[in-house]
Amino acid sequence: MSGLREELRLLSHGRDWRGRARVPRSAKRWELPEAGDDFPTAWARTGTAGAVRHALQQGVLKPVVWSQTRPAVHGREYLDSVRGPAIFVANHSSHLDTPLILGALPRRITENLAVGAAADYFFDSRTIAAATTLLFNAFPVERRGSRRGRSLATDLVDQGWSLLLYPEGSRTVDGWLTAFKLGAAQLCAMKDVPAVPIALRGTFAAMPRGRRWPRPGRPRVTVRIGRPMYLEADESVPEFRNRLVRALATLWAEDDLGWYRALRAAADDSLALPAGSRSVLPTTTSGEPAESSDVAPWRRVWEATRPPADDGPRQVWTD
Amino acid sequence: MGRPGFVLDVDERTPPLLLHEGEGFRLERLPLGSQVIYPPESLPAIVDLEGAIRRALLHPHGSDPLPELLQRDMRLTIVFDDLSLPLPPMRTPDVRQRVIEQVLEMAAAAGVDDVELIAANSLHRRMTPAELKRTVGERVFRAFHPDHLCNHDAENPSDLAHLGTTAHGEDVEINRRAAESDLIVYVNITLTAMNGGSKSVAVGLASYASLRHHHNVHTLRHSRSFNDPPHSAMHQSYDRMADVIGGHVPVFTIETTLNNEPFPASLRFLTRREWEWNLTDQASYLAVKRSNELVTGKLRHRVWQATEAPYGVTGVHAGVPSQVHPHTLAAVHRQQLTEVQGQADVAIFGLPYICPYNVNSIMNPILVMSLGLGYFFNLYRGRPIVRQGGVAIFYHPMPNEFHPVHHPSYIDFYELLAETTDPVMLETKYEKQFATDPWYIHLYRTSYAYHGVHPFYMWYWGAHAMQHLHDVIFVGGDRSTTARLGFRAASTLADALELARETVGRDPQISYLHAPPMVLADVR
Amino acid sequence: MSVALQYHRSAGRYFAARAVSGTRAGGRLAGALAGNLAPLRLVEQTEPTPFSESWSRIEPVLSGICGSDLGLLTGRSSPYLGPLTSMPFVLGHEVVGHTLDELPGLPRGSRVVIDPVLRCAARGLPACPACLTGHTSRCDHVTTGRLAAGLQTGFCADTGGGWSRRLLAHASQLHAVPDQLPDEVAVLLEPLACAVHAARRVLIAPGASVLVVGAGTVGLLTLLALRKLTSAGEIHVIAKHRHQADRAHELGATQVISTDGATRALRRSTGALLVEPELGQSYLLGGMDLAFECTGGSAGMNTALRSLQAGGTVIASGIPAEGVDLTPLWYRELHLIGAYASAVGEEPEEGDFPEAIRLARSAPLDGYVDTKYSLEQWRNALDHAAAAGRLGTIKVVFAPGAG
Repeated sequence: MSGLREELRLLSHGRDWRGRARVPRSAKRWELPEAGDDFPTAWARTGTAGAVRHALQQGVLKPVVWSQTRPAVHGREYLDSVRGPAIFVANHSSHLDTPLILGALPRRITENLAVGAAADYFFDSRTIAAATTLLFNAFPVERRGSRRGRSLATDLVDQGWSLLLYPEGSRTVDGWLTAFKLGAAQLCAMKDVPAVPIALRGTFAAMPRGRRWPRPGRPRVTVRIGRPMYLEADESVPEFRNRLVRALATLWAEDDLGWYRALRAAADDSLALPAGSRSVLPTTTSGEPAESSDVAPWRRVWEATRPPADDGPRQVWTD
Repeated sequence: MGRPGFVLDVDERTPPLLLHEGEGFRLERLPLGSQVIYPPESLPAIVDLEGAIRRALLHPHGSDPLPELLQRDMRLTIVFDDLSLPLPPMRTPDVRQRVIEQVLEMAAAAGVDDVELIAANSLHRRMTPAELKRTVGERVFRAFHPDHLCNHDAENPSDLAHLGTTAHGEDVEINRRAAESDLIVYVNITLTAMNGGSKSVAVGLASYASLRHHHNVHTLRHSRSFNDPPHSAMHQSYDRMADVIGGHVPVFTIETTLNNEPFPASLRFLTRREWEWNLTDQASYLAVKRSNELVTGKLRHRVWQATEAPYGVTGVHAGVPSQVHPHTLAAVHRQQLTEVQGQADVAIFGLPYICPYNVNSIMNPILVMSLGLGYFFNLYRGRPIVRQGGVAIFYHPMPNEFHPVHHPSYIDFYELLAETTDPVMLETKYEKQFATDPWYIHLYRTSYAYHGVHPFYMWYWGAHAMQHLHDVIFVGGDRSTTARLGFRAASTLADALELARETVGRDPQISYLHAPPMVLADVR
Repeated sequence: MSVALQYHRSAGRYFAARAVSGTRAGGRLAGALAGNLAPLRLVEQTEPTPFSESWSRIEPVLSGICGSDLGLLTGRSSPYLGPLTSMPFVLGHEVVGHTLDELPGLPRGSRVVIDPVLRCAARGLPACPACLTGHTSRCDHVTTGRLAAGLQTGFCADTGGGWSRRLLAHASQLHAVPDQLPDEVAVLLEPLACAVHAARRVLIAPGASVLVVGAGTVGLLTLLALRKLTSAGEIHVIAKHRHQADRAHELGATQVISTDGATRALRRSTGALLVEPELGQSYLLGGMDLAFECTGGSAGMNTALRSLQAGGTVIASGIPAEGVDLTPLWYRELHLIGAYASAVGEEPEEGDFPEAIRLARSAPLDGYVDTKYSLEQWRNALDHAAAAGRLGTIKVVFAPGAG
């Protein structure tokens, strides 16, 4: 048996616990293009997996999230008009986002919803990939210039699946909105499906990057679902993307400004929008748009961690 | 599309690398900074092989299409490479079968009655009927065996024809039936760059009288390497002989080349680059290695010998040998050539379980020597992988085992080595005696024995290496056998490098030729 | 008083030794057997007195242990020889010693070796036809006359033997040893005379190929005799041990081959055909012209018979053992020739002993005797002799004067 031990020692030398070796420097040139994500996800879209997922989501995930936070969901009624696949577009600041959205959406939609997950993050390890795929019906999305020919997203839409995408590509660092990538808008244009903006507030405060469990004290979180949006006849994809951003920013600002003022601010164009790769303040309490570069980082975190207002009677008209 | 071959520099992140050692293999950690010469990955095989063969026969190089060469009342002799190619034997149907079948279709269409098939086994052992059947296929075998499908007999004077001598005074004596045919069709597999071309007929159908002009110490010491025909004195002699043969009988040759798939899928890890091994590869490495060590020697031997290579064919070229062969060589180089910068002080080779002369047989110590110092050492173009005065380290257990039927003269040759290992001494003192020994001749002709002189050729095969190298060390080699052959044994690589230090100093440049699959080092 | 190693009649020991040494393991244990089961004892005897003027007491300096002695002690010798001995006797027929009595032409105190054959001359009988022609080893009268039965000194109750401090020898048996020969070489003269005798038993054509089976004392000395006295061509020697091979090379062997693969090696050098029966040893069709069997074992004889070409000759130098397949003798029409002891020849200088003395002067025989035992150490001595080849020794001797 000592022979076997020696053999195992040799075999594992220079390999990680999953048996993968680093490519020697001189062999880098000849490195095989990584097969990208070989991880199969089709199984997770079968009926059985769907049933298991529904049970897990409703029986485990939602109770846990709803017990650790105090979610408020607005705008569910806008979904009634959504028939067939739609692209749900949300801002992203926390791992709470997906469970919250899944808990907030009606079953009619969730049972037909696939979630785009970063291939390099969630599909890097097979165990995490399997869990993510089963629990969220996730599919891999390449966020840094896809090395694969085409994404699974178009196929899924073709097959009638709605998608939940985070066009920012990554969880925000400071709670602020960051620039949107074109992919989601492109998909809507290509497949002629509506986009549904969803704004999440408070998740950054509740469980930012780096936390593995929500902050104690059942922090407040808000899920605001907006009206489905369609590409206009003469609208370009970037224009549609910008419209999407504005809609999301408006929803985002609603918590601070209230519904009407947010609408007003949007109409006045006084909502600052993310542009380029820099994050900007989507809104200001003073109504003054400000470039993010003008704002100290602490202020962004400060604003982002402000708890959403309690569900009191909403102030429609303010002074 | 396979990636090209390349030279790996062993660095900290390089996992242990695979080495063959006879009927086994191991992982070995090479010293940092060692170079590892990897073969190009296997090229895609021709999908429509039947079509490719047909096209080659109908559009040959430097010749009329084969059907136009075939006439009703001609004597047609189809000659094919023997058991020594390819290695391991390829999964049936053998490409020779597929070529021969098409040639015969055309011959049948032309109404040729006098057709003879001859295995070009030269002084190799005869092929058994089962081996012949495996090579040419059931249909051909049934139609021609035993009267018109046979082995070449280099010791039946009435079966040989002396065609004259070359400008260098070399006798050209080949199979009489072939020499007196109206057309020889030669069906070849070129596994390494030394095969094919002029060698096919000039060697495959020759007799001792003819072979001794190029199979000798002098010629082999001036064949650098014998895998690089332009720089091989041996191949120049072949060419001269082929010219003489060409003056007597037209030769239409069909040369095929193979890709780098010598091992079945269950042994896939043997051909993958180690850092790309996935869990399956690692598990099968472990499983195969452990079970290989657990089974008895006999069973292990049987299992390895039963291995069939899933080779794919990468090229089929037909026509006049001298015009076909450049295409064949180009195809071989495409599959096997890896460029290497500079020579090493120490070269490491892992010797596999098979060489051209132990198919369905036993790899005896002399064959190990010829595989190592002959074939592997000569897998270079330009300059040897290891510098003059350097050290070669081979991996092979080198058991003192001989096949009593196949290698009788080897058993006796091994005894000679107690007296001397100097190729020239052996050549001058004993070659003639062995070559003319009536018992060996009897066994060669009637049993399945290699010719009496064959072990000498094996020894000459390593003559250049013996002259070039300062020291030869066998890791894991049986001590008394290794010593008999004039080499040294070491139990581990570290010990071997320690031994080598006397010669090459403390910090030698080490190169490991990662073969099989086949790689030809183009040393600049 | 004289000390002697006496062989006595003991059926129990004889059969015990014979039974055990007959088995495979017993063969390997021959030494232990010889030491422990042999019907041998150390006895004190009175000083013998010469029978007549032509007899002398001999004081042995060295006395060799012969293969035939070991055969006898381990019960492997044939009962055929029983009537040719007289019990109890003292073993030892390879003797170099000094004369203690004045003899005609041989002063007292001369250093001599003994031709052990107790022929007509020693027995006070008129010469039998064999003795008359100088073929003294073939004497018919070894059981009659003045002495008790005994084919040689060392097997006769009356003369004593070399494994003692005193024995008696007849003047006709004695050969003076030249001063230049040391005792260690002189003790080899008796076996060398036998080798000379064997080499002279057949006419060896110039260039004939010869096989010598065995490279113990007999084999090596036979090789020496063949090289010096005949114009044999190739002489191949089958040697079991490395030191034997070295000495064989030294004495001019063409090739020394090991016991396993011997047939194969002979085939190689003769170009004969090798035939492999389904059972038993392989053999040659074609092969050597002559073979000297010098082991006294069945394996050696079988090898010799199977390595000869048709019409060849086997010379049995060792005492042939049982269990030999004589089919080749019949099928290949071989000659089987015995070679026993030595003869004096018709002319005084023609004898095997004078020839042996001449050969010994120039032959490289140093180091053949490398261990001497006192009589008291006889068990160790026999152990050593039985394993001599393995222990790197050619000849084990007693030095009866010591201890």
